[in-house]
Amino acid sequence: MRSGGAHWWFVGPALFLMVVILLMPILMAGALSFTSYSLGNPGAAFVGFDNYEKIFTRSTYAKMFGATFRYVFVVVPLSVGLGLGAALLINSTKRFGDLYKTIYFLPVMAALIAMAIVWEFALHPTVGIVNSTLERGCGTFLEGWSWFARGCERGFPLWLTDRDYAIWTVAFIGVWQGFGFNMVLYLAGLTSVPRELYHAAEMDGAKSAWDRFRLVTWPMLGPTTVFVVTISFIRSFQVFDTVEAFYPQGGGPSKSVYVMMFAIYEKAIQQNLMGIGAAITVVFLAFVMFLTLVQRWLVEKRVHYS
Amino acid sequence: MSDTALPASAPVSASRAGPAFRFSVAETAKHLILVLGSLVVLLPFYVMVSYSFKSPAEIMQNMGGFFGAQELFRDDYCVKLGRDLADCMVTPVIYNYTTAFQKAPLLRYLFNGLVVTISIFVIQVLVALPCAYALAKLRFWGREAVFGLVLFCLLIPVHAIALPLYIMLAKLGLTNSYAALVIPWTISVFGIFLMRQFFMTVPDNLIDAARMDGMREFSIIWNVMLPTAIPALLAFAIFSVVAHWNDYFWPRIVITGDRSLFTPPLGLREFKGDADGDNFGPMMATATIIVTPLIVAFLIAQRRFIEGITLSGMK
Repeated sequence: MRSGGAHWWFVGPALFLMVVILLMPILMAGALSFTSYSLGNPGAAFVGFDNYEKIFTRSTYAKMFGATFRYVFVVVPLSVGLGLGAALLINSTKRFGDLYKTIYFLPVMAALIAMAIVWEFALHPTVGIVNSTLERGCGTFLEGWSWFARGCERGFPLWLTDRDYAIWTVAFIGVWQGFGFNMVLYLAGLTSVPRELYHAAEMDGAKSAWDRFRLVTWPMLGPTTVFVVTISFIRSFQVFDTVEAFYPQGGGPSKSVYVMMFAIYEKAIQQNLMGIGAAITVVFLAFVMFLTLVQRWLVEKRVHYS
Repeated sequence: MSDTALPASAPVSASRAGPAFRFSVAETAKHLILVLGSLVVLLPFYVMVSYSFKSPAEIMQNMGGFFGAQELFRDDYCVKLGRDLADCMVTPVIYNYTTAFQKAPLLRYLFNGLVVTISIFVIQVLVALPCAYALAKLRFWGREAVFGLVLFCLLIPVHAIALPLYIMLAKLGLTNSYAALVIPWTISVFGIFLMRQFFMTVPDNLIDAARMDGMREFSIIWNVMLPTAIPALLAFAIFSVVAHWNDYFWPRIVITGDRSLFTPPLGLREFKGDADGDNFGPMMATATIIVTPLIVAFLIAQRRFIEGITLSGMK
């Protein structure tokens, strides 16, 4: 196949933009993370590893990692598990499967910032629909549950402003928003499991549904799971919209929801501390790239590109 | 939908009984769980649409069911302007939706959202398609290196490098402009990768035939390759438009203060910032208006949307 130099016209623009928009910023973040740069200052002082030292020693950043990892390690397993569960259930029912699929996928389509504002409303301690619904359960058998009885007595939690609940509530919204996406990927994965395998497994004595799942479905869904888990990690690491909507200042009660993307935004954009913001960026990129590389390694053990 | 041999499925005998309805405990339990899940998923949508219909009093006291009573109520702001009391009685649903458009330039926001998402998509295609074609069908020195770079860049989430991008744009004096909203997204390595994989499957003799006819490489891309790539391109369009219509993080960073450049998510956020008791209805109306276009499009073309959004699931 010939190409009389035309190729550089085709590849050139993309190459240029990749270098300027994707590669240069990484180098810039790396360089800035060793300085105390602020926008508007003529120069920047070299501060060595100071910024990194702060990140790994100060309590604010300990809280940042705490919040980020708590969020990620709640959202990833739950949204993957619920995604898989929903896909299996939908795949096995005879009716209304498409309807459920549509409903569960709605949150993926809706602007998260809009839904965050609505959730804040729904979770409002006095006028919110969640707590007023819970209050209706008072005086019924639900009071047998000690948590519920306490709620009836002293009022149900301030979901978003109580520091014992805030991060879990935000994580719940993350799960609510993301599991439909995983469900759809799993449904696609399920259609590619060959029927014969189930018959073969049955011949070999896999009688119960659990056996069939364990021996056929789960192994066959391996590649899907690798992908779903990675993308869930990357998406949940990047959580920002809900946190900013609920806690525009400071990252929630006692900084318990101070996730990394919000920290970058607060330090760099709001406070113009570019050095520390860049250092958080570098740490963040390291996490995300590491995860993606692990995924690629797992995938490439089976299939190859091109 | 399959009904046999899958985990937790109903007994095989039940499905062989034919289309007639048979009660089955397993099947009922499944629907119970799925319906409960649906209720939780739909809850905020219900709240959003319902509140966009109701009067402030109904919202505060949690009354009026889904649609609210739609009784006239007094618009205090209108009274403050010194108008006649009788003219200031309004129907909640009309009040909420008209206020949404009057209180903030919502139409402007929607227009901005449209301009930004469309510009991003068009530029992404203009950049990615030729590159993908060259990577898939032309042989040249450095091709493997370029493709390696594409694979590496797939690792980088653009949101994560927002800070250096912001500094670059600020240095160029481009913050608070359409350019700032569009530039970081002009390169979609994912688009290049996707289209390249697709072009690999296009037979070479199609291209050779076009060359025999005297077509230049450039017109081969737009007249031969592009038409074959329509399905993939459509999926990519949905992927891109959904991501950028809903994006909040990036606009939040580069647009500061200048309302005429706000995208819909920013406009809604601003609304929330200065909402008081009377404005919850209009705010929910705004949220509904912003969310509706994509939801409606999704309901109309579900299959395509799911394909598009899950595109990133392709190897």
